[in-house]
Amino acid sequence: MIRLDNVTKTLSGRKILSELSLSVEEGETLVLLGRSGTGKSVTLRHIVGLMQPDHGKVEVLGKDVSSQNPSILTEVRKKVGYLFQDGALLNWLTVKENVALPLIETLGVSANEIEERVQRVLREVELDSHGDKFPGEISGGMRKRAGLARALVCDPQVVLHDEPTSGLDPISSSIINQLVNQLKSTGITQVLVTHDMNSAFEVADRIAMLHEGKIQALGTVDEIRNSKNPAVRQFLEGEVTGPLTHGTLDGGSDAAEDRNEVS
Amino acid sequence: MTGAVEALGRFLGRSAESTGYGLVLLGKTMLTIPHLLNRRRMRDCLNLMFTYSVGSFTVTAVVALFTGMILALNGGDSLASLGQENLIGRIVAISMIREMGPFMTALILTASLGSGIAAEIGTMKVSEEIDALEIMSISPIKFLVLPRLVALTLVTPVMTIIAAFIGILGASIVAANNFGVTWIAFSNDALENLKLGDVHIGLIKSVVFGVTIATVGATQGLLTRGGATGVGEAARRAVVISFLLVIILGYYLSWLYLS
Ligand SMILES: Nc1ncnc2c1ncn2[C@@H]1O[C@H](COP(=O)(O)OP(=O)(O)O)[C@@H](O)[C@H]1O
Ligand SMILES: [Mg+2]
Repeated sequence: MIRLDNVTKTLSGRKILSELSLSVEEGETLVLLGRSGTGKSVTLRHIVGLMQPDHGKVEVLGKDVSSQNPSILTEVRKKVGYLFQDGALLNWLTVKENVALPLIETLGVSANEIEERVQRVLREVELDSHGDKFPGEISGGMRKRAGLARALVCDPQVVLHDEPTSGLDPISSSIINQLVNQLKSTGITQVLVTHDMNSAFEVADRIAMLHEGKIQALGTVDEIRNSKNPAVRQFLEGEVTGPLTHGTLDGGSDAAEDRNEVS
Repeated sequence: MTGAVEALGRFLGRSAESTGYGLVLLGKTMLTIPHLLNRRRMRDCLNLMFTYSVGSFTVTAVVALFTGMILALNGGDSLASLGQENLIGRIVAISMIREMGPFMTALILTASLGSGIAAEIGTMKVSEEIDALEIMSISPIKFLVLPRLVALTLVTPVMTIIAAFIGILGASIVAANNFGVTWIAFSNDALENLKLGDVHIGLIKSVVFGVTIATVGATQGLLTRGGATGVGEAARRAVVISFLLVIILGYYLSWLYLS
């Protein structure tokens, strides 16, 4: 379904992804773990062609998205929903208008059908009573759910989630986790980026851990939970010292901030 | 010293990058003009024209009024010492219509609307809204840049005409009160000496300035990186670059017209 093959990407002189290979099977929910700044978002961006690899290849739904062929990109993006970290809603449109946007702008769908589909996805994310509010008037968790509704309105086969639960209270996180599991039961393929371990264990079929541009560990929930890999252990237990922080502990305030987010 | 050289190098590098980007952006936006036939794009465009006009009217009117009065005061003072204060009408009218009106309006619109466009698009860039549009296969150029470019390009000449008119009005008040030039004498002198070409060059300038301000604003917005500070920086760059381009392009357009 999704295949990254030896993807290397350098940004501002730093090698973020280094010959990274990863594949996601049809209907699978794969969770990508990693500390902040390790390139999780960069990886997701490669899957929808928002970034191109310097070397390597990215295939989605059997199409080579790293080729940057515009018609392939359009075709693939139609089948892929992307939930951005903060929802990425347009703030001058209401929640409803935001969700309807992809239908209105790109598909020739009738007004009735648009209304119906928008109501359906808003109900799914439990926002049907907030459709007329503007993004600035609702909470961060609701904005994420609205972003998810927009990602779902075109009936995607693949959904990519960028930190869907970060910054949310436990209840909002549970709502999101439930939604992800619900999507999973309908056979949608998902990649979910997070550093929220509870969420990862709750939704994942497989978990991959990204560090220094490579997948350091990959396995089912139980395999990761019981893994002896020191990097995985450090991440799960939120230890300050270990292979993940090797040599980066003296990185000043930045490192301190990252530690907080991981723990 | 090397720090300064490095900074200059970086500045030139970024300028070259954004000039190229801006020209390509302008070209691409022009190609999307047929999308204005789309009812939604037209509605966005009309809404923006309304917002832009309302948002900049008061400050433009006040600045224009006082610019006209200052011109009349200084011009009248020099002319009166030669006993030629009856020429005040033509001097004010020609300079307001040919130079000051377009120039002053462009500076005001740069500060109020150009920086606004850069900040608005820049905010969308850093909060991944532009990426979201791309993924929905909605072209940010068609969806965001086109309506802003067209709206600003149409609003600028309108505001310029209003500014020139109010400026001349202000000048006529000073001419009457301070130099005893009647309203009739003032407007006769202005109308007799004003050429259609003066009006044309004023309008051409205002259109060029409108395109420039919108393009620079959109370019800096789309090139924004690095969070909230990046947005502030984009707005600041949009203002500085537009000011420079307006004054340089203004000079060359005048030079072309007069030669
Ligand atoms: N467009 C870009 N230009 C330059 N550097 C970038 C860009 N996008 C991301 N980076 C850098 O790549 C690294 C990984 O970023 P990201 O994938 O967003 O991390 P995360 O794993 O927290 O999602 C960070 O150091 C970030 O600064
Ligand atoms: Mg990220």
